[in-house]
Amino acid sequence: MSDAALHPGAMAVRAPVDYNMAVVRKFTIAAMFWGVVAFLVGVYLAAELSWPALNLGYSFTNFGRLRPVHTSAAIFAFGGSALFGTSFYVVQRTCRARLWGGEALADFVFWGYQFFIVMAALSYVMGFSQSQEYAEPEWHLDVFLTLVWVAYAAIFLGTLLKREESHIYVANWFYLAFILTIAVLHIVNNMAVPVSIYMAKSYSVYSGVQNALIQWWYGHNAVGFFLTAGFLGMMYYFIPKQANRPVYSYRLSVVHFWALSFTYIWAGPHHLHYTSLPDWTQTLGMVFSVILWMPSWGGMINGLMTLSGAWDKLRTDPALRFSVTAVGFYGMSTFEGPMMSIRDVNALSHYTDWTIGHVHSGALGWVAFISFGAIYYMVPLLWNRSGLYSTKLVAWHYWIATLGIVFYITAMWVAGIMQGLMWRAYDQFGFLQYSFVESVSAMHPYYVIRMLGGVMFLTGALIMVFNLVMTVRSPSTDTKAARDDGAALPAGLAVAGE
Amino acid sequence: MDIEVGDLVVGLLVAVLGLIGLVLASGALDDEMYLFGLSLAGFAALFELGLIRRHFDRREAVRVHAAAERAGEAGAHV
Amino acid sequence: MFIRQEWIERNAILLLVMTLITISVGGIVEIVPLFTIETTVEHVKGVRPYSPLEELGRDIYVREGCYLCHSQQIRALKDEVERYGHYSLAAESMYDHPFQWGSKRTGPDLARVGGKYSNDWQYAHLINPRALVPESLMPTYAFLAETPADLDTVAMRMRDLRRVGVPYTDEQIANARADAEAQANPQADPAELAKRYPKAVQASGDGRVVTELDALVAYLQVLGTMVDFADTSTEKLQQ
Repeated sequence: MSDAALHPGAMAVRAPVDYNMAVVRKFTIAAMFWGVVAFLVGVYLAAELSWPALNLGYSFTNFGRLRPVHTSAAIFAFGGSALFGTSFYVVQRTCRARLWGGEALADFVFWGYQFFIVMAALSYVMGFSQSQEYAEPEWHLDVFLTLVWVAYAAIFLGTLLKREESHIYVANWFYLAFILTIAVLHIVNNMAVPVSIYMAKSYSVYSGVQNALIQWWYGHNAVGFFLTAGFLGMMYYFIPKQANRPVYSYRLSVVHFWALSFTYIWAGPHHLHYTSLPDWTQTLGMVFSVILWMPSWGGMINGLMTLSGAWDKLRTDPALRFSVTAVGFYGMSTFEGPMMSIRDVNALSHYTDWTIGHVHSGALGWVAFISFGAIYYMVPLLWNRSGLYSTKLVAWHYWIATLGIVFYITAMWVAGIMQGLMWRAYDQFGFLQYSFVESVSAMHPYYVIRMLGGVMFLTGALIMVFNLVMTVRSPSTDTKAARDDGAALPAGLAVAGE
Repeated sequence: MDIEVGDLVVGLLVAVLGLIGLVLASGALDDEMYLFGLSLAGFAALFELGLIRRHFDRREAVRVHAAAERAGEAGAHV
Repeated sequence: MFIRQEWIERNAILLLVMTLITISVGGIVEIVPLFTIETTVEHVKGVRPYSPLEELGRDIYVREGCYLCHSQQIRALKDEVERYGHYSLAAESMYDHPFQWGSKRTGPDLARVGGKYSNDWQYAHLINPRALVPESLMPTYAFLAETPADLDTVAMRMRDLRRVGVPYTDEQIANARADAEAQANPQADPAELAKRYPKAVQASGDGRVVTELDALVAYLQVLGTMVDFADTSTEKLQQ
């Protein structure tokens, strides 16, 4: 059933809804701004690892303090802004309802979140960190973020509750799972007691082995629900829209959603193989990580097959190329991940740069690319422009960024495997063959190549910013036409909702 | 002109946050808490100003709209 | 299926509740037993709370993000045990709030770095790593030598750690400042300190100002040295 067959009558009857797109525009701008910041800091850190003199000797420019700035800017500032923006866009249009809670609440979520990001980055360089990876902000920032998150959840759920459509569209399931799970993870993992209410320093209520597992339950599911479920929500709305095809299989999306949500949460212990974590927990983590391969690839198939009959669009629409390549990288990382979680592979890969490469094939290839695709699609609609300033520049961005990722991840594969092999190599007399520092100096060329990959990725993003700015500065089209488009349902709804 | 419930609730919440910020800054025992407290108060003040500005913008828009309609009606009579 | 997808996707609250249940199972099954199974943390002798100066050093280790390049977790693998020493025990980090196992080794593991190098080496290396190890990628930490350690809050910090479960005694907290000063100054008499904190290593401070560098070195020198492995066996370490 095509959606034209289902909806033309309905569309004629229903009055257009006055969506809150102002907040979506703000989040889109924020996403691009933080994207560039995250890539820039990333490049600088890569340079520090290539030439340590670049640490400059100041406390606030040292690798240890800047690294959380990079990860937080990439995950929470760039990824988060993209997720907030697209979720507000998608939930309004698929529910045919204006955001619940009014403009002021949506504004609070936007400015509150930006305030959190800026304060968190400042606190890291000033030397305040809980030292839990991806949960570095100290307790006072955690409390503030919880407030913003509750407001965000209320808006999202409130909008779902007042929807005009009878079914909740599949993209919203994923966004809702992301919002809910991140709330649970954030609260449980950040349980800490401040030294004084007037001091930023706090101590986690957990210690040692329990702390380790809770942290990696958090860390792995920050990947699973922030960087995966949220962006799958993006995939389930924007790819059908860009390809103008319904989602490939409704059944598959149901199985994908429940299987992914159930399985992901178990996988954390694979970060702790051969450590002082009890063996039974490690084994559970490994088994579920391998099982996780299946729902992940189910999702990938659902995303890719949505293009059946519309593959030709890849030639003419480079923005769609971003979205589709993203799903490809998603498939690659979700194969690599389960493989690396097998204990014997992990014995080699853990603690090495292979992990860094794996993370970046997900972060650059999947998270950033699916966001780029969605933003290229949304911007002309959000600002009532007939199209992007230049499709050619999108193609340039695509190729430069893709090449950058290839440089990055291949360099890290070689570096990581080499490190792992050097650490365990024995000479003919049965002694360890290499001192640790020999493995450090062997990394230099790969660290330089990695940095070049990062420079390319950053260049691509700057091209994108230029293209988007020029798009917004081009003359506005008739707002009536844009609004008609806004009232149209996503193609996928014909399958998922009816 | 009525104040929207949403504006009122959010405005009050943010005002409380701003006060908390001042309290934290006044008792701060380290640089981070001092900076955070002051920034939170600053954030709250700016946010409230934004709310006020939007309230008046909206009232202005209603007034202009009404005036335009009156002018339209008057034009129709002539 | 007794609960139908059709109902779930028409009811936002049901969707929320079902999702919450789905994501809770794995976490509960894996995390709760770690608090309840008694053998999760091995019974070994020697692990004690950090001395005041070591704890201040530990806070600096956390603050500077050392864990981003150095793990503190020797895995039970042949080459790691040969390179770094006995594999890490859960008991050795039971007073670590938060844990510092790390996830990346841009530099070597530090779980048993205590006593491997002299104080002099540690000071010189932290001030300029490349003066001693030319290939090192480590940032310089000379600024720690110029920053006084935060002795004013050390007792507060210990009281807070007691709140989250570290068994500091009233006596230890009352003497926090004196112990920190004694441990930083090689001229001071360590008898009292050693009574409260066995195996604590004195740093090589100048005897006037206790610096952050003194604190960090004191922390590094105790890492991995608390447990006496001659006193235990593989059977006893079974989790």
